[in-house]
Amino acid sequence: MKLALEARALGKTFRVKEKRAGVRGSLRSLFAPEWKEKTAVDRIDLSVATGETVALLGPNGAGKSTTIKMLTGILHPTAGEATVAGLTPWRERTKLAYRIGTVFGQKSQLWYHLPPVDTFELISRVYELDRRDYAKRRDRLVERFELGPYLHTPVRKLSLGERMRCEIAASFLHRPQILFLDEPTIGLDVVVKERIREIIRERNREEETTVFLTSHDAGDVEELCSRAIVIHHGGVLVDRPVALLRRELLSSKTVTVTLADSEDPATAAEWFGRRAWAPLPEGVELAAIEGKRVRLSVDLALTDMNQLLASLTQAARIADLTVEDPTLEDTIKHIYGMEKTKGGVSP
Amino acid sequence: MSRTARILLGAGRKQLAVVRIALRQQWAYKADFLLRSCFLLLILYVLGQLYGAAYEGDYERAIGGFTLRQIVWYLVFTEAITMAGPPVGIRIEEEVKSGDIAVRLTRPLSYVGYHYGSYLGEGALRFFVLLLAGGIVAWLSVGLPTLDYGLLAYLPLAMLGLTLSFLMTAAVGLCAFWVEETRGLEFVVQKLQFTAGGLLIPINLMPEWLQRVCAWLPFQAALYLPARLGVRFDGEEMLRACSLQFAWIAALSLLVAFIFRRGVGKLHVNGG
Repeated sequence: MKLALEARALGKTFRVKEKRAGVRGSLRSLFAPEWKEKTAVDRIDLSVATGETVALLGPNGAGKSTTIKMLTGILHPTAGEATVAGLTPWRERTKLAYRIGTVFGQKSQLWYHLPPVDTFELISRVYELDRRDYAKRRDRLVERFELGPYLHTPVRKLSLGERMRCEIAASFLHRPQILFLDEPTIGLDVVVKERIREIIRERNREEETTVFLTSHDAGDVEELCSRAIVIHHGGVLVDRPVALLRRELLSSKTVTVTLADSEDPATAAEWFGRRAWAPLPEGVELAAIEGKRVRLSVDLALTDMNQLLASLTQAARIADLTVEDPTLEDTIKHIYGMEKTKGGVSP
Repeated sequence: MSRTARILLGAGRKQLAVVRIALRQQWAYKADFLLRSCFLLLILYVLGQLYGAAYEGDYERAIGGFTLRQIVWYLVFTEAITMAGPPVGIRIEEEVKSGDIAVRLTRPLSYVGYHYGSYLGEGALRFFVLLLAGGIVAWLSVGLPTLDYGLLAYLPLAMLGLTLSFLMTAAVGLCAFWVEETRGLEFVVQKLQFTAGGLLIPINLMPEWLQRVCAWLPFQAALYLPARLGVRFDGEEMLRACSLQFAWIAALSLLVAFIFRRGVGKLHVNGG
């Protein structure tokens, strides 16, 4: 397996000036400043294979962006080592720039008053692309990203979705081996998000571009990534395939019951009040009631699914019943609640 | 072609691409051009009146070797350089503070080089517009300057002056890697450029002790020397001025490179 990137005990701490309140406090910190050491990333180990799509997840302040910025050579780590596309990012930043692409969701690389095509042209010069190859590549990306209608419109007149598509297309121009995406779909509507994910997937498939992204959007992770690494308090909490993440980490299931029309009284709320269990069996929680639909959250460690379903069908006539894994959003929330231990995680 | 030559040529091509795009973007700021030109006209009017009073309206009289006509053209030349330079120090500070520097650092292009290209693209366009506007006013009020090599010498000297101004403000802006606020320092450097650079008063009209101090500072090489040679050309002085500009450019480039190298290692990008 060829590695696209690897990090060993990569860490970053920095000093923050502590400021006291009030004028006297300000004066004091002017003459006798107090510094506090803050750990942004706590010696993490990562390895990503060529062509893999990996999501780096974590709550705000977990160290995601700092990690990406170390891997792209912007920040110098205070501990550990990393190799990205065969180079040490912070020592060979310019050389690495030819091999990687970056998209920072809240920062723009497009020239505000000029049409995107001008920025594309600048990028082609900066990356020293062959003129004919560049023209071909640009036209192909314009077609795939459907940028034709606004290629010659000043960036300031584009919507956020249109701008982001241009940003991502721009980062693909020089055929990067690894694409780093920091919150690529932030602030976008569902349709645009979907389109952006689709084209990133397509580039990954066709050109084996390794994708490494951070996102707060569970959809980005589910639809784009094969593996998720969750970090919290600067360290790795979980590292496993997205498909297994939900099943393995949460022993709970969501059971949705829709009552048959013939059931009387008509609403599920009343049905629950009169006919179903009181109190609820251990490990079963009432998550929501909407009309005739009841949603239960079931902890399989405490409740047996067979027994639960049997007692449900005995209690009432059921029109529909579904058993689902929890959403990725719920899973991630659950993971954030875990503590980091030496060998893995503990609830 | 040797490897070094190829690298230099490549860097030059990238730089030129930045200059070109900055020039194009600058066309969008038409109101800015107009405002700056109006402000320049106001300054020239006020200073023209002041110097007119000092010379008692006598066009033949020379003070410190400058006639009234030369002084007015001197002001056009210094103001065109000063007002042309974009606020690169503030931009660098903002990029460091907001974390936008991340976008620039992941490109195969020198960070300072990028800003220099963008400064030249914007600055050169503004410079020519200001020179034209100021030149028309000076022509209408005091007539044409002495038509000799001075006008030809002024253009390259002014471009080197712009480069020096860039290096001075960039050095201040790059201090944002260490301190949260560089505006105070920038204010001091800018005002020093105005006084010790000879923006409003040619340095040889200043007291001798001040002239001696100014001779040791880079500011006069950015403003005073190009403007003085523009209105009063002297071949030997031109060579001296050029050498001085190149020496300061070399020294300040080393300083800027040193600050950048030290600073980028300390960088802590805000917001992660």
